[in-house]
Amino acid sequence: MIDLSVTLGRLTLQNPVLVASGTFGYAKEMAGLVDFQKLGGIVPKTVTQSPRAGNPPPRTVETASGLLNAIGLDNDGLEHFLEQYLPYLRSLPTAVIGNIAGKTEEEWVTMAARVAEAGNGLAGLELNLSCPNVSGGLDFATNPAMTERIVRRCREVCPTLPLIAKLTPNVTSIAEIASAAAAGGADAVTCVNTFLGMAINWRHRRPILGNGLGGLSGPAIKPLALRCVWQVARLKTIPVIAVGGIATIDDAMEFLVAGASAVQVGTANFYDPIASVRIVDALPAALTQLGAGSVRDVVGTLAWPT
Amino acid sequence: MLQLTATILENVPVAERTFRIRLDCPALARAIRPGQFVMLRLPGTHDPLLGRPFALYDTVLDTQGQPIAVDVVYLVVGKMTGKLSQYQAGQSLTIWGPLGQPFRDVGTSSCVTCVAGGIGQTPFLAYARQLLGQRGYGGDPAKRSVEQVRLYYGVRSAAFAAGVGDFRAAGVAVHLASDDGSLGTRGFVTELLESHGPIGPLAGCGPEPMLHRLAAIAEQWGVPCQVSLETPMACGVGACFSCVTKVKTAHGDWDYRRVCVDGPVFDAAQLVRE
Repeated sequence: MIDLSVTLGRLTLQNPVLVASGTFGYAKEMAGLVDFQKLGGIVPKTVTQSPRAGNPPPRTVETASGLLNAIGLDNDGLEHFLEQYLPYLRSLPTAVIGNIAGKTEEEWVTMAARVAEAGNGLAGLELNLSCPNVSGGLDFATNPAMTERIVRRCREVCPTLPLIAKLTPNVTSIAEIASAAAAGGADAVTCVNTFLGMAINWRHRRPILGNGLGGLSGPAIKPLALRCVWQVARLKTIPVIAVGGIATIDDAMEFLVAGASAVQVGTANFYDPIASVRIVDALPAALTQLGAGSVRDVVGTLAWPT
Repeated sequence: MLQLTATILENVPVAERTFRIRLDCPALARAIRPGQFVMLRLPGTHDPLLGRPFALYDTVLDTQGQPIAVDVVYLVVGKMTGKLSQYQAGQSLTIWGPLGQPFRDVGTSSCVTCVAGGIGQTPFLAYARQLLGQRGYGGDPAKRSVEQVRLYYGVRSAAFAAGVGDFRAAGVAVHLASDDGSLGTRGFVTELLESHGPIGPLAGCGPEPMLHRLAAIAEQWGVPCQVSLETPMACGVGACFSCVTKVKTAHGDWDYRRVCVDGPVFDAAQLVRE
């Protein structure tokens, strides 16, 4: 019997395959299509303190093997989430990890405290420090000191809840930011959010997205995400949840070998809604191929060429 | 909602750059209702990466009257539809659905008038058959609810008119218009409609300017009007929040709503016209 469970700091999951925030709605949208109990966990869409209308359309455009998006954190706010979505989410037979984004340091703390108080049933909380599409907002995770400070202050008000910092790849050294998150008390980091990009209609001399810029995801970014995950994981300072172009069992295994303790399926949920379940089903056989008896046995086993 | 690999039974041209594809998917065919849509994706490729939304044209029944397949009529407009038009019977596609809200019950009315522009006729064949009691959908028995269904259908030229025979065979009164006068009346389909009005209730599908005009006509005539919107979608199921449109809220304000789950069929009076 292969042991699929993984532990990342305070967080234990029945298997290492999660679905990424912003790609799975609030889970209800995927009911009937995805067998939730097979998943290691679900990260619902980011919520903010106050409702946000989001960006004007077009909000997404397909690019070569990828998806460029600028949704703009369209959501109805934290209280609406706690009242309308959480009761359903907490009834699901898998771990549900909330995801929040604050606009200011104080807002982060207020939101984290509110989740600690009213977020019964959440297995953890992912801090979206890295959405590239919030105009006027700070991309907190481009700054190590700011990252450490936000995580530390959230930790103060969430002393027992597993905290995960979701990081942006749009930095010079993601390892430095990950170390800052670890120093602030995060249980794990999610690497990586989308890569800032753009698409242009040259005939109209205009950007295609309503927001001008967007974040790139999908198979196009997998090699970039692998590099980021490896750079963070090799420090062995904090467990890594990998995200970025994961759509198949091969993708998932590559990230585990690179050092991720768990993976998130993101954009693939859009074009192959049952991709995550297929990965879970294929995991035991893939681990067996490597002679591994558990997921832990393969994490970070990359042999560097000598 | 189901995700399946469906075998292509037919993929045949029906008009200029327009094809009808028939997919073997009995479970989905039994569940889908007029106005709903499916996502189709070319499997095994990242080019294109995403699926695309397509309205139900109609279900296909076996000799016992059981739904066994789904027909979609599509216009070749880009990479995905271009490649799709090359697919042959026996190959397969990934399909998920049924998706979105079907056309709403119009209550008692002697006549329902569908107004289509471009490739916007596609959701109306199943709807007409449902209204005329020729077919039940989604497990419901067939039940006639209107005396007559009319279709006002505008195309750029005669070569692009697709499925007119299907509508006539279903007993729909078809009124045609074309930009160049090569089919029916020359001019906009909304102008043709206005020259016959006021009539209602209305249902519309087509380019945005046409739908805006139709909404204005419905308002002027004081008749209900449903419109089926087409927007780019990444997932079709409500997960991505790409396909939003501005919908009026109770407080005289607006909010973005997802066309895939709150639509694609909306009450025209609820939409913000810009």
